[in-house]
Amino acid sequence: MTVQTQSGSQPLLRLREIRRRFMLGETTIEALNSVSMDINNGEFLAVWGPSGSGKSTMMNIIGLIDTPTSGEVWFDGQDTRSLKDDELTDFRGHKIGFVFQGFNLVPVLTALENVMLPLHIQGVAEHVARERAMAALIDVGLEKFKASRPDKLSGGQRQRVAIARALAVEPKLVIADEPTANLDSENSRMVVDLMREMNHARGVTFVFTTHDPRLLEHVDRKILLRDGNIESDEVSA
Amino acid sequence: MNMIKLAIRGLMRNRRRSIVTLLTIAIGFASITLFAGYTHNVYSGLQKQAIYGELLGHLTLSKRGMSTEGKLNPVKYMLNATDVTRITELLLHEEHVKLVAPRLSLSGLMSNGRSSTIFIADGISPEAMQQLQVDAMTEEEKRIYADYIKKLDATHSDSALLSAGLADMLHLKKGAQASVLTSTISGQANALDITVGGTFNTGNAGSNDKYMFMSLAFAQSLYDTTGAADRMTILLDDVNQTDAVSKHIKEKLQAAGFDIEIKTWQELSDFYNQVHNMFDMIFGFIFSIVLTVVVMSVANSMGMTVVERTREIGTLRAIGLKRLGVVKLFTVESLMLTLLGCVAGLLLTFGLPYIVDILHLSYTPPNSVNSVRLLVDIDFERTLFTLILMLVVGTLAAYLPARRAAQKAIIDALGHV
Repeated sequence: MTVQTQSGSQPLLRLREIRRRFMLGETTIEALNSVSMDINNGEFLAVWGPSGSGKSTMMNIIGLIDTPTSGEVWFDGQDTRSLKDDELTDFRGHKIGFVFQGFNLVPVLTALENVMLPLHIQGVAEHVARERAMAALIDVGLEKFKASRPDKLSGGQRQRVAIARALAVEPKLVIADEPTANLDSENSRMVVDLMREMNHARGVTFVFTTHDPRLLEHVDRKILLRDGNIESDEVSA
Repeated sequence: MNMIKLAIRGLMRNRRRSIVTLLTIAIGFASITLFAGYTHNVYSGLQKQAIYGELLGHLTLSKRGMSTEGKLNPVKYMLNATDVTRITELLLHEEHVKLVAPRLSLSGLMSNGRSSTIFIADGISPEAMQQLQVDAMTEEEKRIYADYIKKLDATHSDSALLSAGLADMLHLKKGAQASVLTSTISGQANALDITVGGTFNTGNAGSNDKYMFMSLAFAQSLYDTTGAADRMTILLDDVNQTDAVSKHIKEKLQAAGFDIEIKTWQELSDFYNQVHNMFDMIFGFIFSIVLTVVVMSVANSMGMTVVERTREIGTLRAIGLKRLGVVKLFTVESLMLTLLGCVAGLLLTFGLPYIVDILHLSYTPPNSVNSVRLLVDIDFERTLFTLILMLVVGTLAAYLPARRAAQKAIIDALGHV
């Protein structure tokens, strides 16, 4: 079964009536409360809002690393509820790239090896993985640092390696949860600019969360979350 | 980057912990294999001692019932001269048979003219005695142990070799005369003079004051029989053929009309069996303890590693690594750690015996009158067994914590602090 948008084209991601509850002791926390939205191919979208608004929960569900308590998640025309754990892992590995707030690079691997890692997980041949990873590192301007381990790189450089790692698998969607939270304003701007550039150059859909309203200036669309609900969904002119 | 390379990189993260665990494995492995090597050397020494030192040969053949009823009715159970000749002819050209030697045991009283004591004597031809002892020796061993090889004087049939304790008790030195009194095959008393041809240590405190060797001909004279023997010792060219040859010659002799029984050197050497069983039990005990320590060490190390890397596991799962992949990653890492530890242990296993050899350490085993060199062999069979078992349990030690981590929800793993 495939899903079509009102305009006729298939959305990359469709969320319908998504609820996500967590138990904290005996208290139930409603992190997302009946959220519905579509994300189209090639969008550069920011999810923003105060702490505890449900941004990370939404990113985890969009990134298929968490499952909603109820509701539907359709990704690239596929109802993800029908996928078993291993199928979902494969699906995620091929279609989604992740950029984490804490970079989450493997400390004993070089920048190039970190970028090659998801390709190795997919079973891509060594020489192909090396070529694709190198191309991704060039795209983020870190080819000179290919042999450097993460502890030899600055915060901004580490996040650029993380972006390269996310792009190396040529995903349809890159999820970046607070990618600039550990960076200064200059590096934050640089990382968002880089993501924007990759969005334009590769046509990859980017969804990221942020606290910083200054980073929202260059997005196509911004969704404001508050208390687990979408308060506003604005598309830039 | 393959799994092995990634696993080795993983081991480099916390080098100190990896090195400590690796050393634990290496020392544990070497402890087991060195003790196995020591017992191997002991078994090998006891085997040689039984076959060649105690002159048991590989097989001992006698009429059925000789060992239980022979003393009461020697006429019935002795092999007569015709039997001895026929059996010798039947066996001497069999494959693997190097020597067929008739033997005759007897006991009685020995006197120096002033005092007397009991003795147990073994009659054997001087040539057979020589061949039984030196057969397995290298030229160097023959030179080193020249003074320990027991030699009966082939030119004087009344010459006897006395155990050191017996000679001391009767104050007999080489060349001295003594009298031996026994009963003949028909039960009559018979006394003959012997000449002390030399002394030897039986290596056993219980027999060192009563044992002696005499020529077969002299023993037959004392027993008043011609050409008879109570048993025949068979020497083979290969100890590993003992059981096969035993079965074959038994069938052959039974087909020829002999009602005989054959015992192997292992069946006759109680001491070998007792020591073997004791060392096997000690080995099992040590093996269990060391293996437990090694497994706990690896499990502890890998458990800590998995916990420390929970967030990384979350990342890897997010970017496409399946649960089984996570388990594989850590079990391969544990396998590499155990393998490296075993390789280091192997180096110790191959190196330490040389150091032990250079140190010339010696000790006196229980119930022995002689000290023996502490030597350690390489017991390939047990070394391989230890290696395989350690690799298996070392790998399994990482399985449970890795599986637990792989089952963790990705968002929980990513949020792990």
